[in-house]
Amino acid sequence: MMNTKEKILSALKSVYDPELNINVVDLGLIYNIEITESNDVTITMTLTTPGCPLHDSITSGVRYSVEGLEETGKVEVNLVWEPAWSPDKMTPEGLRLLGR
Amino acid sequence: MLPQTMGSETNIKLPISFIFFSLFALVLSQIQLLVNGQLMTDGSFRIPVIWSSAHLLVLGWALMAAMGAMYQLVPVAFLTNIWNERFGFIQFFVTAVGITSFAVMLYWSPQNAIIPGVLTLLGILMFLVQMVMTLSKQAKPTIMTAFVGSSLVCLFVTISLGITLIYSLKTGFASEYYQSIFKAHLLMGVTGWFTLLIFGFSYKMVPMFSLSHGFPMVQAKYVYGFYFSGLVVSLVSFFTNNSILLKIGFLLLLIGFSIFSWHIKIIIKKRLKKTLDKPFRFALVAIGFGNVIHLAAFIMLWNQDVGHFAGPLIYAYLLLWIVLSIVSYLYKIVPFLWWTYKYSKEIGKNKVPSLKEMMNEKIVPTLFSLFIVAVLIVFCALTFHVAILFNIGQFVLSIVFIIIAISILKVLKK
Repeated sequence: MMNTKEKILSALKSVYDPELNINVVDLGLIYNIEITESNDVTITMTLTTPGCPLHDSITSGVRYSVEGLEETGKVEVNLVWEPAWSPDKMTPEGLRLLGR
Repeated sequence: MLPQTMGSETNIKLPISFIFFSLFALVLSQIQLLVNGQLMTDGSFRIPVIWSSAHLLVLGWALMAAMGAMYQLVPVAFLTNIWNERFGFIQFFVTAVGITSFAVMLYWSPQNAIIPGVLTLLGILMFLVQMVMTLSKQAKPTIMTAFVGSSLVCLFVTISLGITLIYSLKTGFASEYYQSIFKAHLLMGVTGWFTLLIFGFSYKMVPMFSLSHGFPMVQAKYVYGFYFSGLVVSLVSFFTNNSILLKIGFLLLLIGFSIFSWHIKIIIKKRLKKTLDKPFRFALVAIGFGNVIHLAAFIMLWNQDVGHFAGPLIYAYLLLWIVLSIVSYLYKIVPFLWWTYKYSKEIGKNKVPSLKEMMNEKIVPTLFSLFIVAVLIVFCALTFHVAILFNIGQFVLSIVFIIIAISILKVLKK
């Protein structure tokens, strides 16, 4: 049976970067998931570039996907640029989808 | 970790208003050329119908599309919100009315084009105010700021020189400098405004669409230095009638463009996305064309009959570099705008399409290859004055443009 963190990760896999058509987990955009005792969630994440035009859409999508879970309370998305995203943060599946 | 909470998405109705207007202007300019343009094959470029069609293409389509793209790209590239969106809508209305009446007046009564010209100027000035105010809010200017800022200065100079040309035509003011002003108007508009703008945004869009990472940016400073110096030196040469200065200016432009091509090649080599999207590949092809035409323009200066080649080369530069770049990027920008409008609130809740699924990419290679062939046919027709070749090339080109406009507009059905 999946714990809350695994369920959150699974929900996040439904959020795709529409330009690359790869989900935010495989792209390596999710840096950290914090869950409080009252099940409030803070997701620390980044984007592939600071000027990403899909900035608001992707961060809102991350919030919506986790808010949709029964197990979670309030959800906060903390977008950071440091450490900067780099390809080594991608999963092997993400790299495969890019043809690498 | 540095938190980032600022949203930077524009109300998409603003960029999309400009882009839709531009697509209609594109279709109209092509129909106009198709009906009247055979006059160009006699080398008659400076006639009312060509002025009207050229301005519909350059102002109505390329300028309006560039403005629309800027309303979308500036906030994301410079991480700052548009200064005043309401002012942006008023600017759209003023510019659209100005350009439409300007094109009509150039066709029917060029000597009375001054009032629509001033209205167009007002719209462009409003745009410049909007962009200057927006860029001034940028926390940390970058090399992209230099490219885009300089392109905006060139746009202002282009329009001012254009208005001076009309005033000169009507009153005889500065008539001894008419030729110099005309050349400066073309240089500032074509190579200054458009090329610097495409350079600047390419540094954002090329890494973004190829997912390139870990590339150097030092070359961009040299691109800017050489290209901007080339513009200034060429401009001075027009007003001093100094042919050596003109050769130096064109050489500097060629070096600047060549470094840009080389730099983009380096960025592309550092890409993670193995297979590039089809429209984006043509944006890269356009860079190659731009470079070759810069080289041809430089070589042309050693020919005695410069005037014979200048028109066809400017035509090729406009179509194969500027128009091809803009059209290729429109195939990326319009789906993004529509996707944001329709699906940005659905992501994470429901399954949403990818941007690639918003547009029929399959027709792009055939359509864009036909575009290139048609432009080359028209280029040959203009160079060798072959009317039948011109009619064939222009007919194909107009059809291709109309299909491009329809295929871009079809994204609204997704």
